[in-house]
Amino acid sequence: MGSVIVVTSGKGGVGKTTTTANMSTALALLGKKVCIVDADIGLRNLDVVMGLENRIIYDIVDVANGDCRLEQALIRDKRFEHLTLLPAAQTKDKRALTEAKMVDLVGQLKVNYDYVVIDCPAGIEEGFKVAVAPADSAIVVTTPENTAVRDADRVIGLLERDKVGDPRLIVNRIRPDMVKRGEMLDIDEIVQMLGCDLLGVVPDDEAVIRNANRGEPIVVQPNTPASLAYRNIARRILGESVPLMQLEEKSGLWGRVRKLIGGR
Amino acid sequence: MIVNSETLSDVKPPVTVKGTRDGLLFLLDEQADMDHLCEYLHSLLFGETASIFDGPVIEVVVDYGKRALTHEEAWRILGQFQARDNFLIKAWGGGTDARQSMFQRKTSARAQHIYHGLVRSGQPLMFDGDVVIIGDVNPSGHVQATGDIYVFGRLLGIAHAGMHGDTTAIIAAAEFAPMQLRIADVISRAPQLKATMEYAYLVDNQMMVAEMKQFMTWNKVRRRHTNQERR
Repeated sequence: MGSVIVVTSGKGGVGKTTTTANMSTALALLGKKVCIVDADIGLRNLDVVMGLENRIIYDIVDVANGDCRLEQALIRDKRFEHLTLLPAAQTKDKRALTEAKMVDLVGQLKVNYDYVVIDCPAGIEEGFKVAVAPADSAIVVTTPENTAVRDADRVIGLLERDKVGDPRLIVNRIRPDMVKRGEMLDIDEIVQMLGCDLLGVVPDDEAVIRNANRGEPIVVQPNTPASLAYRNIARRILGESVPLMQLEEKSGLWGRVRKLIGGR
Repeated sequence: MIVNSETLSDVKPPVTVKGTRDGLLFLLDEQADMDHLCEYLHSLLFGETASIFDGPVIEVVVDYGKRALTHEEAWRILGQFQARDNFLIKAWGGGTDARQSMFQRKTSARAQHIYHGLVRSGQPLMFDGDVVIIGDVNPSGHVQATGDIYVFGRLLGIAHAGMHGDTTAIIAAAEFAPMQLRIADVISRAPQLKATMEYAYLVDNQMMVAEMKQFMTWNKVRRRHTNQERR
């Protein structure tokens, strides 16, 4: 029996979908059977980020309506043998996907996979409730901005009320140089305020955007900082204790030279 | 000392006896049937268990509430009290001081609450009485209380003390950096201070903030003041 993790944030645009895609891919690369469920109906993105858009025939609403079997809607990622996607619908009526249907559907997936990762829509309305309903635990994604932290706080409150296991936190898009200058909330401050365990910190990395546009998760490129961060997150989910990576830029010779020429 | 007459009868007794610092207070039920009341009173004062009232001379206050007594009825009740040798009737009336002070003490004894945990954004908490929050109040977190609010952590959100109009209520926090403060009807934006241990209070509808080390002396004055009002 697998574990169901919902990835949520409250605020939009903080990187839920990117986190879901990369974390799940990293888990699959570590040999776990993973199914990603896109619960962001109407504004589906997960398939785009994963580069699987052109393979969608049926989606989650079709399954909920009984128009197809669950297996027909699942898309196997050919690059990673353990990774499967259940896409969201673009145009169909999302009211067909009720909390009860979602629980039932995820319950079926749970049997065959080690991890079912649900990508939650932004907001705290109906879509949020549907996405959270089947979850065993939650991962809250935030960025080091006041608005995102505030919304994360609200969402954690709602998760606690609904008794969704201990929410864990991912701080996304941190910029070490700005934190150093005191222009960005630092991680300790965020963790202290939100009062939950830190699962990982992902540095702001252009490669993430580049790869998302290409439809290829960043974790396949082993050498970028963001890729390493996502791999670490996956290992922590499996229960390994991995220290937080050092975000500060090495002030070696190159760093000093760069500083001299006025770079960061 | 409270001698509750419940032990003597199963139904709600028409007479309640309270021990006060000065003596005994007899509260006569204002709804009870007159004959029933007198019978009950007689058995209470002269029946089998009447020996509990024996002893040295004791001051007695008799309060009959809002009941309208005729001359005869008044004597019928009063006569029973006078028949007891050791009762010295100190007061007799419908709204004696002894009764009022008793009920007032009851309403002013505020409930006290302890809340463990974070108060998160968009999570309004309301308490009747004083509250101690053991944890932080996050930005946009909202705590309301009819009495005082003490935060044993960081107060970064909104606190509303004395929400039903108690202007003597205060807000205190170990790290005092609230978004907004409200005491009774007075709303104030937080002073941008260094977030030390402080408390907020009202003086003539003006919000004041002081360091916590002044609180003990200030609170003594407040207590004396509210006690005076009560008297």
